[in-house]
Amino acid sequence: MTDAELRERLAGNPIPGERESEDRAWAIVREAYDQRERVPRTDRRWRPVIVLALIAAVVAAAVTAPGRAVVEKLREAVGLEKTEPRLLRLPAGGLLLVDSAHGPWVAHRDGSKRRLGSYEAASWSPRGKFVVATRGRDVVALEPDGDVHWTLTRPHRVSDARWAPSGFRIAYREGNTLRVVIGNGEGDHLLARAVAAVAPAWRPEPAGLNVAAYASRDGTVHVVAVDTRQELWHTYAGAPVTRLLWSEGSLLVWRGGIGHLYDFGGRLQETIELRPGHVVLGATFAPNGELFYTDYDPQARKTSVVRMDGKPQTIFRGAGRLEDVVSSPNGNWLLVTWTSADEWLFLHMPSVDRFLTVTNVIAQFDPGATGPRAAPRIAGWCCS
Amino acid sequence: MPASGRDERAWVRGAQAGSASDLEALFRSHWPRAYRAAYLVVQDRAAAEDIAQEAFISAVRALGSFDRRRPFGPWLHRIVVNRAIDWTRARSLRREVGEEPLAGAAAPAENPARPLSPGVVSALADLSPDHRAVIVLRYLLEYTPGEIAKLLDLPRGTVNSRLRRGLDTLQGRLEEER
Repeated sequence: MTDAELRERLAGNPIPGERESEDRAWAIVREAYDQRERVPRTDRRWRPVIVLALIAAVVAAAVTAPGRAVVEKLREAVGLEKTEPRLLRLPAGGLLLVDSAHGPWVAHRDGSKRRLGSYEAASWSPRGKFVVATRGRDVVALEPDGDVHWTLTRPHRVSDARWAPSGFRIAYREGNTLRVVIGNGEGDHLLARAVAAVAPAWRPEPAGLNVAAYASRDGTVHVVAVDTRQELWHTYAGAPVTRLLWSEGSLLVWRGGIGHLYDFGGRLQETIELRPGHVVLGATFAPNGELFYTDYDPQARKTSVVRMDGKPQTIFRGAGRLEDVVSSPNGNWLLVTWTSADEWLFLHMPSVDRFLTVTNVIAQFDPGATGPRAAPRIAGWCCS
Repeated sequence: MPASGRDERAWVRGAQAGSASDLEALFRSHWPRAYRAAYLVVQDRAAAEDIAQEAFISAVRALGSFDRRRPFGPWLHRIVVNRAIDWTRARSLRREVGEEPLAGAAAPAENPARPLSPGVVSALADLSPDHRAVIVLRYLLEYTPGEIAKLLDLPRGTVNSRLRRGLDTLQGRLEEER
């Protein structure tokens, strides 16, 4: 084979679908270009305002007397309040789903808990009647007592299974694809390719529609009516998406230390910008719509628990990493996992006037283990 | 068909000044070869589309600081080929779904004159991603070994040896087919 023959064979006829791929890609590149034109103007116009607002908010939260009082009060109080050496009871109703190194656990209000089996990660069905878990190539629906309801085995590794609020659909990732299966384990099908390693998020839908958001590898977030496969809207392609979170009225897209809040129509409502280098370790919307997140400062090695209610307000600050943050179903308590301290912290809402701590968390969810052990993660607090 | 250097500089200048039509001309001029290069390395149409698209989006983001005296193609191809190599390495570590059988890459039957040979595609599949990349850069994108060495940050001797080994393997595979 001569060089010329090889050239000809490599540059042969169009690859099937080449023209369509060009048109699809052009639409996305064009959109990125349009965003490039718009964003700098917006940034320039609003940057001084945003910077001033952030400075004011941080100062208000951390320096002003009321803000400092809350933080200092909690700092001093930690360790002085009654601390439980193990999980004796949850301060609010509902069931806690906990992912440990050896599988998910369901913890009850009275402190009793049960391991569901050797699964990698789990999440609740909307009313807490089932848990969907993944293990290797299996998607498994379980009863909260561990009984297997059904199992779907795929050719490749699966992860990030999430049950739709309607109860009728489950989305999960398989490799770099996003798939959907009906809640009874039937009708499994592909929804999207080239998705990022971020869990999909279902939109809260009182009408029972099945609308999901997922991130693709180019940093675009797509919002899709799953049953019709119709894309309702999408964001521009940008920095890698790290977390997707719906509230009753908005979608929060985290890209590292920057959060963009969109309304249900895809209009950008608000931008949350952490200090440079800071990262969000956990975030949740409380039932009343308030956003809480943990803001980790890698240089200072401290984490702030922040309430975002128009402006950021630090409600707790601790050394090391405070990661997961979840609200109790009634919104009266916020549970934060203090990974560095091997503790759970329950903060009483809304005024943070009380708190409870539970210590030795790793040992409680990894009994009998030796050597280095991973901290358990909170997968959800469901359904009083 | 690649554009002349003058056209390309004009399109880059226009795109920097806000002309979407100039950006489109630049995109349409470079897409076919960028996509094909990615496809020949990763051998997955969806992944190739993503990789080429991401490369163009990177170009859009960096447009403001792009030096118009430099040719656009090598800059784009460097991103495409390096990402394609990374993707292929990652896939070999973590088997992924969505890969289409190689037969799916065959040319449409109605146009058999210069098919994208399934033989050459499957023969390329037997090479490592690094070897595929130098073959594609040399024989599809027509860079010299010295230019390939710069694009991939490799010593020129490494490029030459990869080319030689890659060609030998290709030759062997294609001979077996005959």
